[in-house]
Amino acid sequence: MSSTGAAVDERIKETSRLRKALIRPELGAIVGTFAVFLFFIIFAGDSGMFNAQGVLNWSTVSAQFVIIAVGACMLMIAGEFDLSVGSMIGFAGMSIAIFSVTLGWPVWLAILLTFAICIAIGALNGVIVVRTGLPSFIVTLAFLFILRGFTIFFPQLIERRTIIGGIAERAAGDWLAPVFGGKVGGFFFDWLASQGLIAVFERGNRMGEPIVNGIPMLIVWALGLMVVAHIVLTRTRFGNWVFAAGGDAQAARYVGVPVARVKILMFMFTAFCATVFATCQVMEFGSAGADRGLLKEFEAIIAVVIGGALLTGGYGSVIGAALGALIFGVVQQGLFFAGVESSLFRVFLGVILLFAVILNTYIRRIITGER
Amino acid sequence: MSSFDHNPIVEMRNIEKHFGPVIALNGVSFDIRPGECHCLLGDNGAGKSTFIKTMSGVHKPTKGEILFEGKRMDFASPRDAMEAGIATVYQDLAMIPLMSVTRNFWMGREPVKRVGPFSFMDFTKANDVTMEEMRKMGINLRSPDQAVGTLSGGERQTVAIARAVYFGAKVLILDEPTSALGVRQTANVLSTIDKVRKTGIGVVFITHNVRHAMAVGDRFTVLNRGKTLGTAQRGQITPEELQDLMAGGQELVALEGSLGGTV
Amino acid sequence: MKATLKKLAVSAVAVSAMMGGTAAIAEGERYVLVSHAPDSDSWWNTIKNGLALAGEQMNVTVEYRNPPTGDLADMARIIEQAAASNPNGIITTLADPDVLSGPISAAVDAGIDVIIINSGTPDQARALGALMYVGQPEYDAGFAAGQRAAGDGVTSFLCVNHYISSPSSTERCQGFADGLGIDLGNQMIDSGQDPSEIQNRVMAYLNANPDTDAVLTLGPTSADPTILALQQMGLAGDIYFGTFDLGGDIVQAIRDGVIQWGIDQQPFLQAYLPVIVLTNYHRFGVLPGNNINSGPGFVTADALDLVAELAGEYR
Repeated sequence: MSSTGAAVDERIKETSRLRKALIRPELGAIVGTFAVFLFFIIFAGDSGMFNAQGVLNWSTVSAQFVIIAVGACMLMIAGEFDLSVGSMIGFAGMSIAIFSVTLGWPVWLAILLTFAICIAIGALNGVIVVRTGLPSFIVTLAFLFILRGFTIFFPQLIERRTIIGGIAERAAGDWLAPVFGGKVGGFFFDWLASQGLIAVFERGNRMGEPIVNGIPMLIVWALGLMVVAHIVLTRTRFGNWVFAAGGDAQAARYVGVPVARVKILMFMFTAFCATVFATCQVMEFGSAGADRGLLKEFEAIIAVVIGGALLTGGYGSVIGAALGALIFGVVQQGLFFAGVESSLFRVFLGVILLFAVILNTYIRRIITGER
Repeated sequence: MSSFDHNPIVEMRNIEKHFGPVIALNGVSFDIRPGECHCLLGDNGAGKSTFIKTMSGVHKPTKGEILFEGKRMDFASPRDAMEAGIATVYQDLAMIPLMSVTRNFWMGREPVKRVGPFSFMDFTKANDVTMEEMRKMGINLRSPDQAVGTLSGGERQTVAIARAVYFGAKVLILDEPTSALGVRQTANVLSTIDKVRKTGIGVVFITHNVRHAMAVGDRFTVLNRGKTLGTAQRGQITPEELQDLMAGGQELVALEGSLGGTV
Repeated sequence: MKATLKKLAVSAVAVSAMMGGTAAIAEGERYVLVSHAPDSDSWWNTIKNGLALAGEQMNVTVEYRNPPTGDLADMARIIEQAAASNPNGIITTLADPDVLSGPISAAVDAGIDVIIINSGTPDQARALGALMYVGQPEYDAGFAAGQRAAGDGVTSFLCVNHYISSPSSTERCQGFADGLGIDLGNQMIDSGQDPSEIQNRVMAYLNANPDTDAVLTLGPTSADPTILALQQMGLAGDIYFGTFDLGGDIVQAIRDGVIQWGIDQQPFLQAYLPVIVLTNYHRFGVLPGNNINSGPGFVTADALDLVAELAGEYR
């Protein structure tokens, strides 16, 4: 062994590099991203999908998915699901609206209170799952209904309607609202417009201004959450605990990983992401509706699975989930650009999901050595 | 043997453990000294698992006392036992297959380096130590990023043992490490046990295979129906006698004759 | 891996084949209609048919878009998307001005002609810079229906709201209550969208409130199960029953005397007329001088034959 050691080692390293490239969880999502962009460049390249306005459109939609997918991804790696994400989005938005518009409190206070309430609900989800040992699927399904019910009940009780508007007026001049609803980089787009690189409004009171006048904070949040979550997951001790808690909770417990705490924290993080989503939406549109966020929990889970995470936990990647969200957003909006009948979107989604799951299973077989 | 010059690291006295009406352990005494391999033998259902879980802090004994280095100890959790120096390698729960060897090796005790206000996992150190410790145990990893799932059963046991040794275990409890392995992998694990013992760690080797026990054991304790049937020194007992003790001294006698003593 | 790539390629080809049928770009103008209705709402089929017919007759390309779950925030993105694809005109509902006014006015300012249909009011349409409003003002329609019911001696009612998150649905119930001259109170229930749930909730409400005079449903989604509920309870034809919008079962129920009247907002016109108006505006520069009220028209058992024949298709 030792005499031929050097030569053998080199050969082994060669294969390991190839294997390493193959078994990255993001692999499927990277391939998928290229395929999707190629597809739409061919079929919708001249439809406005890739002008400034079009790019902003699908990036905003993708960023929405990224925000909830990052939370769902961390939670799924920790071995749990949260089906209450969509309802949480509706609930959080309504909570901000009721505090700020109906009760007349300052918007920053409404936002902070809502974050506190929603993260507490996330913690409650987690505590129930950890304490009872019930599948998180069932526990969070219960919260899907509970939260949606309250989201319809409270505004009806207080205001006799299910959409509360007027938040934009309340948010004017608030110091916290622009962190969620504002835009950044406006001067850059002004410059682009002055160079004739992007389109400007042709009439109305914004005539001459660029049609795209900044990057929404939604996108900044999405990128920020993605980077932070990726670093925490892959580069820190806590990240290792997340993998361990989802990979095998019992084994992790035996070596002293605080599995219960990790899982509860991940439920709280998922709730945090849902609340960021809701706050950005409410600040952008100026109203909260009882139907906001319907089915978003599944869209988040689909993005995460496309991104290479295993439904069984313990394996996955935040970057993959973000790419999954990008694929999701690009396909959803791109089909409109390509002029495809919109009801076929679900067909596409199903096909992509199926491919992703099959690919993931294949990759897992390589990792675990079972053929 | 040098191990008898030392006092026991862990001494369990008249341990009883009841689960409701079931008496799983009914007065078990056991001790482990530095540098010895003490085999705990018993058939399925004899109470081996309950016993090691009591020793490693998972269960609290209903009666009896545990002395650690001569002092009475009450372990509130596996973590307490682990910090005191009692490491357990479970047969099925040792490793997480989807995670890399390094991540498994350091799980729960990750090394950190600080960068400004943030602390990150120190992968350079983690990878180097993992490779080095595995090499000491006779396993050359392709890469520390290799998922544990790609390792053989014996190699996984070895990672778990290397991990326990590296983190300063004084007592290493091995729960049936050889029961699911083939001949060659069993030999590897047994030689690993031998290496560990020579570093002065007390090894508790749980098995129901007399031959594996005889291969590395210094002392043998047989557990039957929640009771110890006594402890024997190496050379004071034959494999056949051990086998009989495990089976309660009766049923197997007739069977063994017909199998020609191969069981 | 190779196999997977191959599969991807195959699916892309299959998909492009599928698109061939729908994306045949006709010569001429392109108009996008954006609705707020979830996929499950069958009432909008009439809109789709009206849109397609107008596109065919005028030889223009028409596209129908809707948020699959009915989430209005998603609808805002769809309007933004439609604007980015730079069509000649956008025809959209205004289900929630707070959410939709931003994207709609941005489209208007970008030089795209917009017509508001169905939800919203003429005032709101004007404020956004839309060319016109085509539809039935919801509160007024509810109010007119309430007055009619008051004339028939109704003093209490149940409003079966299957789309509670849309303000316009609530306005219909509110208008009806005001037309009757009573307080809406708890007479509006959130029925959900599922037929059997709607049926059971209606039965539960009527059992709990046996002195209810009348039932008001807001469309086929809630009317069809309500008809079944009344038949099961033996109240069909006995209780006063009015509904918004028409559909196959509603027409039959009007004929059978189960439903007294249906308010037809004539959705066909809401999709058909904007395409005609926009096309003529773009080709010849002519534009009608006012908003167009597509409803309300009360459909009763008299003169029902034509409605029955085309119900669900164009009526």
